[in-house]
This record gives sequence, structure tokens and C-alpha cells, in this order.
Amino acid sequence: MKKSFAGQIAIVGIGATEFSKCSGRSTLRLAVECSDAAIRDAGLAPEHIDGAVLFAHEENPEIEVARNLGIKALTHFSCIPHGGGAACGTIHQAALAVHSGAAKCVLVYRAFNERSGFRFGAGVQDRMPGPTPVEVDFGWSSPFGLLTPAQWVAMFARRYMYEYDATSEDFGRVAVVCRKHAATNPRAFFYQRPITLDDHQKSRWIVKPLHLLDCCQESDGGQALIVTTLERARDLRQPPAVIASAVQGSSEDQQMMKSYYRRQISGIPEMGLCARQLWEDTGLGPQDMQTAILYDHFTPLILPQLEEFGFCRRGEAKEFIKDGNIELGGKLPVNPHGGQIGEAYIHGMNGIAEGVRQVRGTSVNQVSNVENVLVTAGTAVPTSALILSRDRR
Amino acid sequence: MTDAERAAFLEQLRAQVGKASQPELARDPVNQPMIRHWCDAMEDQNPVYTDAPFAAQSIHRTLVAPPAMLHAWMMPGNISRQVRQRGKSVLSRLNAAGYTSVVATNSEQEYLRYLKPGDVLTGVESLTGVSEEKHTTLGAGHFVTMRTEYRDQTGAAVGHMQLRLLKFKPGTGSSANAEGAEAAKGPRPVRPRPGISRDTQFFWDGFKVGELRIQRCNTCRTLHHPPMVRCPACGGYDFGYQVSSGKGTVYSFVEPCHPKVPAFDYPYVVGLVELEEGTRLITNIVDLDPERVAIGMRVEVVFQKPDPDLILPMFRPQRPPHRQTTLSFDAVAVGDELPPCPIPVTTRLIVAGAIASRDYQDVHHDREAAVERGLPDIFMNIFTTGGLCGRYLSDWAGPEALMRSLTMRLGVPNFPHDTMTLAGAVRSKSVHDGRGLIEVGLRGYNRRGDHVTGTAGLELPRQGEAVR
Repeated sequence: MKKSFAGQIAIVGIGATEFSKCSGRSTLRLAVECSDAAIRDAGLAPEHIDGAVLFAHEENPEIEVARNLGIKALTHFSCIPHGGGAACGTIHQAALAVHSGAAKCVLVYRAFNERSGFRFGAGVQDRMPGPTPVEVDFGWSSPFGLLTPAQWVAMFARRYMYEYDATSEDFGRVAVVCRKHAATNPRAFFYQRPITLDDHQKSRWIVKPLHLLDCCQESDGGQALIVTTLERARDLRQPPAVIASAVQGSSEDQQMMKSYYRRQISGIPEMGLCARQLWEDTGLGPQDMQTAILYDHFTPLILPQLEEFGFCRRGEAKEFIKDGNIELGGKLPVNPHGGQIGEAYIHGMNGIAEGVRQVRGTSVNQVSNVENVLVTAGTAVPTSALILSRDRR
Repeated sequence: MTDAERAAFLEQLRAQVGKASQPELARDPVNQPMIRHWCDAMEDQNPVYTDAPFAAQSIHRTLVAPPAMLHAWMMPGNISRQVRQRGKSVLSRLNAAGYTSVVATNSEQEYLRYLKPGDVLTGVESLTGVSEEKHTTLGAGHFVTMRTEYRDQTGAAVGHMQLRLLKFKPGTGSSANAEGAEAAKGPRPVRPRPGISRDTQFFWDGFKVGELRIQRCNTCRTLHHPPMVRCPACGGYDFGYQVSSGKGTVYSFVEPCHPKVPAFDYPYVVGLVELEEGTRLITNIVDLDPERVAIGMRVEVVFQKPDPDLILPMFRPQRPPHRQTTLSFDAVAVGDELPPCPIPVTTRLIVAGAIASRDYQDVHHDREAAVERGLPDIFMNIFTTGGLCGRYLSDWAGPEALMRSLTMRLGVPNFPHDTMTLAGAVRSKSVHDGRGLIEVGLRGYNRRGDHVTGTAGLELPRQGEAVR
């Protein structure tokens, strides 16, 4: 059944701070700056904002941001669990809120000093255990030294390699493409710094089978988005990026980063669930996407994402990538902004912003004739995805 | 000693090089009790050594002795310590000069035929070399090389051995200091503790009694890991557990490299093991070179205590099966790898191996004596290492494969509470006089490094033929 908000809601504003390894200011300052920029981009003022949606591990409460921005009243506020998997879930939630009338104009943001401040990538080594379900969950892995997101993802990657004869080079090609795209994006960490497959292969091991260049880089920065009705969007400053649909997905026997007990672990069933919902909801299919922003915290899970969405058959993503399909000019350019590997790791929010730019036609690496953009959120966790489209009025 | 005194001393030692001893008769003929004793110590189950009916039907037509026992027949035992003329007199001179400790470092044995009960050996020993004083981690010492030729009661040569020993001054090496320095760093950080709830307590309690427990629904018998509070299969809330066989296969694995966490020794492997009951669990794959870990590899549980108050189920390769029929020459290819075999190094194995080889050196059974000589504990003697290599090879190649030679170079010692993992690969294949010969490269490593590297020459039956 078509979601009632599908095609009725739009992203109307995007704003970001610079992306860096050391922002030199507080995370609250970053959150307020990027929110301020997004509101201005939309041609709105803070008093127009009456909703806020955040996701897990956001350390800046919406009330602090609202206070600093001068937002007068909030009639909807919510927070999505499960880290990066929630990135597109925020848009899903904001669209639901706007469509229901709970709020008219929703601010979504992510801001942190993940490199210069608290580093999520360091994992969970210092946690004190308790009898809570979260600690019990860590208890199955931490005592054995499986401690970091890279390590958790690598376990899936190794099995994928085994089942489909994929190699480290197949993962490396993802990094090479993302860095190539980032090299022409002045906002990217890795502007003018492309890499070769050889660089990838020679980069040090983080966790075998992942090299350093299979991993995105911890970043400082903030990214905000503004969501409102399409009707209202049409009166605002920017061309609307219509939310053709936005969905969430969590599948059977899902666990946080370590769903290792399913019959198979070489696919991403929750991403498949998102794919099925998006195609059903919009009547679109893989052939209708001119570009895709795929969540690339680590390269390996790009491959099963391409498969789950039907851009290629199961086990064939490595050939799809090798044939140049994910590069600019290819069948499905992936991450024209450079992805989280190349631009910055803002937990998927900078990817949504790139989706908006592609629809507006303002990306530095603009794909031609963009009608629809697929955007995905974090893998190995309960996740989300969305399709942004041009306003077809 | 001055340099001149040192040179004179070395000259005295070297004066004996090249001269052969009087032939010495073995104290006992080759006999079944000693063979059984050896096989028990090494856990060698090859029936040609102990199963008379099997042996009678084998290419040997009778029981035979494990070839690696060659020198055990000649060992002097605990009481008779007559000093033999050439090599032994050099050893006593070194003892007198303060080089009182001894370890074997290399051995090369060649076996011309398998020995049978009743054979009586004679050994002729000659000193083949004495090194200058070397400074090793064990201490300052001289390497002494001796060669023994073995003949049987008819005077026919049956084999020979070259043995290299290090005679060193106890307390002059760095190994004892290194252990001390390690301890001086203070207690190391412990591993992250597990979070345990009332729903998962049974799992962790199992380790105290050596059980790996898998939650089982008492209503529909479905197994679950990690544990559930409600059975998603039948809706039941009533759970018990089943004790796992502890056997499984590697489903996936990773090797963390960065960031380094002080509680862990690098390298280490985190495995996702699928138990034969069907559930999976996260664990460590231990006693195996990380490069050798592979998906599908058969592993078994071993409960380890990485910290004094933490027991964790870890997995090591299953001991490869003991082959019942002999591998044919044609079925083997150069590059073939032998399955890795972990051998827990226990005090019992070290002592039993020493006694089975009639080696009464105190460092192989007396901890205090070993510590006095600058070692952290007793350690395995070279003949036990040889016996274990023999067992590993015949487990892989089958009961009628013939071992023709065994060359070993020892590295770090095998101390108790460690595990030596034997691994090997076929290095070459050739046919001589119609015999199918292969050379197997061997490596046995423990957590300190390589204990033994070496090669073994084996003869395997060619297609359709028995080994001669």
C-alpha cells in the first residue's frame, strides 16, 4: 500500500558546516550553524520550524538547538535509534510528522566532533558490563576482542568474499570510485586526492580483510535538512526535492552490527526490505534511478546493497563495479559527492544533502537528467532508505 | 678466561673431532614395553607399533618400533652414566668449565629400516664439531655436534643421527630476564567483561564445569544462541540447555589489527563458529597461525583463561583424524598442506616423553632444576618433539607410510601450559628405484614462536602396490 505521505513531502533546505578533522568548536555550535544554514537555504526563518527529528548518539538536544536558533515552539520531536541506520529514517519520521499535521516544518540535523572529540570508531573496549540487553549483546563479542565497527562489518565481508569469490580488490574499487568523485568536490576531505587500487592494496590493515582505505574517516562537522509539505515547498526559495518515499527496515533476527546468527550473512535483508517497500511505494525500479547515494562507512557492504536493490544479481556486484557502472558516466553513478569515504562521514546526512543537490541540479559532480535518486542509510543495523525526485508538477 | 685461555680450551675440545668411539651396545633389545610406553606418551595410535594382528598383515609382517625412537634404544638411562669417549668427554670438559646446562638444538635422523622387537643395536659415536663460544638467549655456550651410526646384530647399518647440542652456562642468558621484564610491567589490562543477565547466566556458568551450553526450548526443542526469553519458533517461555559437542566449523573470521587494545596479544583471530548442533557463536580461533584460518575449517572448543577470573570458550583446529588406510603416492601433490594439529603441551606430555625416550636430564621433569638453570619451567626434549612429528606424519599418511628421515631444528622451547601446533606441506615428490618418496616440510609453533622446523622423508605406496 502506498504510504500516504509519498510524493507529498519535500526536502526544502540543506545546510552544513565545513567538514574537517578538527572543527575547533563545540558540537552544539556545529549543530546550530548547520541548522541555521539549512533554514536560510530554504528561505525560511527559525520561527517557521516547529518540529525536530534526531537519531541515536546525537549529543545536541533539539531544545538546545531550538533555544539558540530562536525557534519559538516545537510540536513534534523524536529520535530514531540505531546510529547511521537511522539517517533516512529521520526523513521518514519528519515526513510522517508533517503529513499528519504534527508539525509543519521539521528540522533534522547531525553534528559532532567525531574525529577531534568522541571517536565512535574506537569501539566498545572500555564499557563496563551490566545486565541490560545492550551489555548482554556486547558480551557475546567484546570479551573475544571483536570491538569496533570495522571489525563487526569485516565479519560479514569475509563471508561475502567466501560465498561469491570476491576479493579485497573488489572492495578497493569502491574506495577508488568514491575518492575519484571526492577529488573534484571542494567540500570533500579528499578533494584533489584520488587513490589507485594499488594505494588501496598497500594501505595498512585495520582488520583483515579490511584495509585502511576500506574505511571512511572519522569527521567533525554538521549537516542539517528541512522538511515540509510539497505544497509549501513550491513557494520557497529552492526547487523541492520530493520525498517519493522514505522507509525503514529491520529484518528477522536483526541485531546491532552483529546479525551473525541468520541462516545467511552475505546479504542485507533489512536493506532488501527497504528496497521492496520503495519500489512498491513509488512504482519505480532500479532502472529509474539516475544515481544512488549508498551508505559507505566501509566498502564491503556497498556490494550487497547494489544486489539488494536489484542493480545487479546476487553475487554479481563485483562485476558490476569492475565494469565501471558506479562511476560518473556509468549506468549508476554512486556517491557523486565522494561518499562518506571521500567527502566526510556525517552518518549518512551529507549523503541525503547530496541527493537533494542532484535533484536540484546543483551538485559539483552533477549527473545529467536526474529524475530520481536513491539514498540509503547504515548497513549491518536496522536501516532506512529513500527516493528523492524532481517535482513533476 | 683470557682470549688465549679460551682459544686453548677450544683447541682441547676440538682435538676430539673426527674420532670415533668404541662401539657401544644398547642396554636392551628393541622391545614391546618400551614401544608401548613411547606410543602412550606421544598418543601415537599407529597400529603397526602395538597391534600385533594388524602388524602381521602389514608390509612389515611384524610389529615395528616408531622410527623416531632410534636413539632411545641407546640412551644411558638414569643410573648408568658412563662417560663415552669422544662426544661425552667433550661434554664433561664443558661441564667442568661451567657449561653445565644442555639443550638439543638440531637433529637429523635417517632410518634405513624399521626396527623390530628383538633387534639389538650398536652405536658408534663421533664428535663432528664444536663451535666457538656463542651468546644465546639461554646463555653463553658452545654448540657440540655428534654423529651416531647404528648397526644391528648382523652388523648391518640401520640408521644414523646427527645431534647438535648447546652446552651453556646457566644464568648468563637473556630469556630469564625477559620473563622478568614482562612481569615487571605489572598486571596487564583485562579483556572486556561479558554483560551477563539472568537469561544468559547459564551459558557462562557452564564454563566452570567445562560445558559449552546452547539454550534449548523445552517445548519444541529448538536451539537458540544468543539466548532468547521467548521461543520465536513455538512461543514457549520454558528453556533449558543442551551441552554442545564443542565441535564445529569456522563460518567467518576476522583478524583485528588496529587500534591495538592492550588486553589482547596480537595477532589474534575472532571467529564466528558454527557448532555442529547448528547455532553459531563468536569466539577466538587459537593455536593456529592466523594466516591458516579458513572458512569451513573444523574446530573444537577449548576453555581458556585469558585473565585469572575469566573463562572463555575458544576454538582450535580439531586434531586431524588418524588415517586408517595409507595414502597413495599418486594421491599426493607438491604443495598439499597437512591439516594443522594442535598438541597441548602439558607437564605430563613433557615428562612422559622424556622418560619414554630414556632422557633423564632434570630440565625435562624437575621444575626447580629448570628454574635454577635460568628457564621458566621444564621443557620438552627433542626426542619427544621427534616422536610427535612422527605421530603427526603417520596420522596424516596412514599406518604403512614409511618414515625415511627426520630433520629438526629447534627454536623456542615447548613449556607447559602452551600448545604446539604442527603444520606441514608436501615439498617434493620423486620416484627412486620404483619407490614413491615425498619430502614434507614441518613446522611446530607455540605462542612464543617456532618450536621446531624441519623436514621428513616419507615413502608412500604407489598406485596398486604396497610399500616395499
